[in-house]
Amino acid sequence: MNDIGEFALLLALATALYGIVSYVMAFRSNRVDVYMSADKTPIIVWACVMVSSIALWRAFMVDDFSLQYVAAYSNIELDFFYKFSSFWGGQKGSLLFWTLILTTYMMVVHVQNRKQNLRLVPIALAVMMVIALFFLLLLNFSTNPFERIPLPPADGRGLNPLLQNYWMVIHPPTLYLGYVGFTVPFAFATAALLTKNLDDGWIRLTRKWTLVSWFFLCLGNLFGAQWAYVELGWGGYWAWDPVENAAFMPLIVATAYLHSVMIQEKKDMMKVWNMSLVLLTFVMTIFGTFITRSGLIQSVHTFDEATLGYYFLGFLGVIIAFSVTMILLRLPLLKSKNELDSFLSRESSFLLNNLVLLGIAFATFWGTIFPIVSEAFRGVKITVGPPFYNQVNVPIGMVLLALIGIGPVIAWRKASWSNLKKNFTKPVLAGVVGGALLFPFVPLTDKSEIFTYITFILCIFVMTSMGIEFIKGTGARMAAHGESPVGALSGLVWKNKGRYGGYIVHLGVVMIFAGIAGSQSYSTDVEKHLNIGDRFQLRGYEFTYEKLLVKEQSSVKTRVIAQLGIERDGKRVWTGLPEKEFYKGQNQPVTEVDLISTLKEDVYMILADFNPETSAATIKVYVNPMVKWMWLGGWVIAFGTMICLWPDRLEARRRMERMKRQEAIFMPAQE
Amino acid sequence: MANLENALMCKCDDKCGKVLINCTCDTSRETRKTLMGKLESGLTVDQIVQQYVDKYGETVLSAPTKTGFNLSAWIMPFVALAIGGFGVRKVIRSWVRPVSTGEDVKADGAEEEAPEAGHGKYSKRLQDELDRLES
Repeated sequence: MNDIGEFALLLALATALYGIVSYVMAFRSNRVDVYMSADKTPIIVWACVMVSSIALWRAFMVDDFSLQYVAAYSNIELDFFYKFSSFWGGQKGSLLFWTLILTTYMMVVHVQNRKQNLRLVPIALAVMMVIALFFLLLLNFSTNPFERIPLPPADGRGLNPLLQNYWMVIHPPTLYLGYVGFTVPFAFATAALLTKNLDDGWIRLTRKWTLVSWFFLCLGNLFGAQWAYVELGWGGYWAWDPVENAAFMPLIVATAYLHSVMIQEKKDMMKVWNMSLVLLTFVMTIFGTFITRSGLIQSVHTFDEATLGYYFLGFLGVIIAFSVTMILLRLPLLKSKNELDSFLSRESSFLLNNLVLLGIAFATFWGTIFPIVSEAFRGVKITVGPPFYNQVNVPIGMVLLALIGIGPVIAWRKASWSNLKKNFTKPVLAGVVGGALLFPFVPLTDKSEIFTYITFILCIFVMTSMGIEFIKGTGARMAAHGESPVGALSGLVWKNKGRYGGYIVHLGVVMIFAGIAGSQSYSTDVEKHLNIGDRFQLRGYEFTYEKLLVKEQSSVKTRVIAQLGIERDGKRVWTGLPEKEFYKGQNQPVTEVDLISTLKEDVYMILADFNPETSAATIKVYVNPMVKWMWLGGWVIAFGTMICLWPDRLEARRRMERMKRQEAIFMPAQE
Repeated sequence: MANLENALMCKCDDKCGKVLINCTCDTSRETRKTLMGKLESGLTVDQIVQQYVDKYGETVLSAPTKTGFNLSAWIMPFVALAIGGFGVRKVIRSWVRPVSTGEDVKADGAEEEAPEAGHGKYSKRLQDELDRLES
């Protein structure tokens, strides 16, 4: 099976090469026979990569340690669940996984557009295949997951214990689905540039792809934060690590694109800008991959083998050079009639939103690469950690939060002062009243707490502004249709999925802002060295250290658990079981925290140290307010995005009509 | 103590790359004990940080200093934002059409400035749009 997997990778490479050549030839020569031949390649490439992936998964499942990759990332005792996820636990498998998702997307694009959109699809598929070709070259000639060991070991080294967490089964695929998804808009944008079909066709075709990719990247980031929170045991969820930044930057640039593209859809403006943002989003995904795999920037998350960095750097250079050249060449065709009626308009607020989002992306990028810049100019390598990002990005983020409340209720084209007054009086008033009510309860002793207080006021402002939009629309429907409030609200959302789905996404973002602000500023912790029976208090909770348990979980894993009785107002509310897990052959034990999670706060318990002879233990407890708001915010975003993505009857009808109008299979490029 | 843990990176052998406050390795625990001892001995946070910089170099700091070349790390994002802001202002100015009268022109994004529920014009427009959608 390993031979089949290896051969399938070679076959995928050859087919991708053939596909690129034949798609381009078919397009240039307008030959249907060549096109029909090329038309099968996306499915063949996908099938080959799928066979190869199945072969690797099989090797993990049957403990085939003749494969170097399986021996390095699995062992006999590993749970089935983690054997499955070991596939993407290392460099080679993660590249194969990336390629699998990419070719799956390619296949879906191919199937979706079999007899339509043929002005763009062949070239878009060729572009996707060029990217797949790059990964297939790496897989075949540099990081082959089917590399054999002459003398296979009896057992493997096992998966890094930190990755043996359910979030690590979910987080990487989600993140990859987002990362790789941006290849589709990139491919269509490139196809539009190459074929000079620069109307809004490519935007229409990739609207949902962009939203889906954004959605997965957003969830991927949140799932990664949840993994860090429960697995790394330092009480936090985001450390502005270069690899975290690498996943954050494309998300922010894509968010800017999702907003600015609305202006092109509505007013046919900002074509150059939108094209640039799509290309930049993809560049950011490859830059992220370069960081993860180059070892150039120190990170907790980088892969062990860092040799691939140069290939990715070269690939990145080619993409940037190609994208810039194409935009410059097509500049005359990308020119649009840019006109606004007023400085005060939604268009302006969206431009401001883009500026702020790109400001955050740039600050993050600058902080990520500054160690290299410093080394290049001064010969001194420095570290750029959370204090930098928090000080720079927090004020910019607060401006963004305010814009979330302002943008959607300001009118398109031209907002009058009376319009502004009418739309903003209540939200501003709510913010002021909310701020006054909060004032006695929030400490304002340092800059961070003042920022948090302002963030809460802004959250109230945005929530009110959004809430009024829903109330107004619902009221109007109730009056027009005589519907019940629930019926009117659901009807309102259902009939305007894009708009109200977007508002719901904004509500989720506000919840995340509130969660971050609350947990960052009002967190408190205590570390105690305890003997059995010792007690301590923190924020109204009383903890009693009851016992230390040692459990031999398996031949490779031992768990040491501290049992804590937790009381509140004299009543036992929880039994805390923070633990340390020791894995055979691993230097450092893994911390498994225990959590009491409520909307108000999380009680986060860590077993920091213990003495097996005396059963004394060092326990660290954090009380982190409002963390749950962030995770719930993520689900609200998911709900809102689902509404935006839900198929629209009217849109489907229009698409059918467009298809009917398409007579020719082939449509040559515009001259 | 939290200030110190925030200011310094963990210097463990595994080169974990974490800020001390975020690190749970054995080295970080030892470092915390050392730092606590230094604080109790009367040294200030700045003095302790300087001791670590002298020992490990600037790389032990969790963020660039705000002096010399490192200042550019802090300034650049805001310079970029200011330049971008200037550019956006210029772009919008060049896009704005001259308005024929000085009066406020009613926005044609009228759905955005919906009056109170049940108000005639908005309801009529909404009704029209819904009828169109449902037809």
